[in-house]
Amino acid sequence: MLTLDGVVAGYGGGDVLHEVSLSCPPATVTCLIGPNGAGKSTVLRVISGLLNPRRGEVLLDGVLLSGLSPRDILRHGIVQVPQSQALFPKMTVAENVLMGGYLLRKDRALLRARRAAVEELVPLVRERASEPAGNLSGGQRRMVEIGRCLMLEPKVVMMDEPSLGLDPHSLAAVAALIERIHRSGATVLLVEQNVRVGLGLATHGVVMEGGRIRLTGKAAEIAAHPDIGQLYLGAPTTGGQ
Amino acid sequence: MAQFVQTLALGLLIGGVYALMASGLTLIFGVMRVINVAQGAFLVLSAFVTWWVWRATGIDPIALAALTTPLMFGLGWAFYRLVGARLRSAPPSMSVLLMFGVALLIEGLLNVTAGNRFRSATPGYFDESYTLGPISLPKAPLYGFLAALAVLAVFYAVLDHTWTGRAIRAWAQNPSGAALVGVSAVPTATLAFALGTASAGMGGSVLSVLVPFFPASHYEWIARILGIIVLGGLGSLPGALTGALILGLAESLTSVYVSPQWSILVFYGVIMAVLIVRPQGLFGTRVREDVAA
Ligand SMILES: Nc1ncnc2c1ncn2[C@@H]1O[C@H](COP(=O)(O)OP(=O)(O)OP(=O)(O)O)[C@@H](O)[C@H]1O
Ligand SMILES: [Mg+2]
Repeated sequence: MLTLDGVVAGYGGGDVLHEVSLSCPPATVTCLIGPNGAGKSTVLRVISGLLNPRRGEVLLDGVLLSGLSPRDILRHGIVQVPQSQALFPKMTVAENVLMGGYLLRKDRALLRARRAAVEELVPLVRERASEPAGNLSGGQRRMVEIGRCLMLEPKVVMMDEPSLGLDPHSLAAVAALIERIHRSGATVLLVEQNVRVGLGLATHGVVMEGGRIRLTGKAAEIAAHPDIGQLYLGAPTTGGQ
Repeated sequence: MAQFVQTLALGLLIGGVYALMASGLTLIFGVMRVINVAQGAFLVLSAFVTWWVWRATGIDPIALAALTTPLMFGLGWAFYRLVGARLRSAPPSMSVLLMFGVALLIEGLLNVTAGNRFRSATPGYFDESYTLGPISLPKAPLYGFLAALAVLAVFYAVLDHTWTGRAIRAWAQNPSGAALVGVSAVPTATLAFALGTASAGMGGSVLSVLVPFFPASHYEWIARILGIIVLGGLGSLPGALTGALILGLAESLTSVYVSPQWSILVFYGVIMAVLIVRPQGLFGTRVREDVAA
């Protein structure tokens, strides 16, 4: 279980997150939604250790993670596909994916096995292996980014707006990948602007606004909530799935 | 014809030495995001160390690169760990100021200890040449070139084929992306900085034989290698190699066919012409503003 407890964080000036508490039970998909600037990416940054919280704690299965370096947090099995460009544009696709296994670099056999597994999940990684990642389209880069983070066989996968800029076909491919990650037993924490898609994939939902948690619950409950319907879906929904 | 071939050959030899110096500067640019304006001073410092040891012991100056390269590596390592790393979140102008201060400090120390005069290491082969039919190749640039080539080969092998090299490239291309795969910022940047100063160690030993130098020579050298990497595209290693060869050729062709005074002018003429057409340099990519999260 990934837990945030009373996390306060910011970037220099004032606080961006005000006492954020949330939890992602094992093997669930939690979708974090909220307007621009609500602090969704900041939550992921705090969990990954890119930003240290001023107060509060991040725990994975009871182990304190806040204060650790990004590298040590990866070692605990938490990976992130960030919102904006995460790849190394001048490296090949193969090398980018290999870098996902940087922490395993001493174990060549394991790296090979993981890479084969990733190629199986994301065939693009094999098809475009020797091309610079910077040459790929936005959707293709997304697939490679997701493939790369799977090199560590993570316990928790965080994705920041994976649907951003994807056409319906790529979106379906990404959604299928998220499903597979979920079914393999990993915990997924998803940030989505496309609320219909996000909550459709999720088991649980969390709504943030102004750096605070507004609403938490089962994905279906969140989708059916009257406020959400008006705020994000444009119209009342029929609810449920 | 023979003269032309000989001029080209000499240009390529010198270009190879420039390539080594420029690769170090471009590597440091990759991690600091600023030009290390002290790189010329590191070069001249290493040239002085070479000259001293050569005079005291008679050991071949180019072979002394085996001493200056690790020495400058260690110096760069310690400097970045103690000082450089603290400036990672400061505005780039602070780093430039700091490195300029370091350059002035080195220049001042050399002035006090070595005196403000031209020096040059002159081993036995200093004015000898190999003759290949109608072409004669001076030995010193040839040895310097071979030494530079050997170090460059190691440099590129490390960057291309080791995890350390991958980490350095990853960090230079996308720091937050690198952090998210577990590359630690400070050790990686320190290593890249130290490799960059190590190349100045090697380059300085070669320089001590090829060109007379004095403490303030670093201004001229930083201008030269900065010109090379601007021409090639900031941060691009293939660009540094190409720019270095162009500079070597331009200098040697101009000094033979026009006059030595014109050689550096021609090089800057080439730079300006290239930058008008390709502001990002020959191999540069326009800096993306949207890479870091
Ligand atoms: N690097 C930064 N430096 C300073 N302030 C930042 C930084 N990144 C984000 N912020 C501020 O933190 C707040 C929350 O940003 P965050 O990126 O977490 O929002 P978000 O919910 O992910 O929004 P979006 O949907 O637009 O991605 C915003 O007010 C933003 O201005
Ligand atoms: Mg965001």
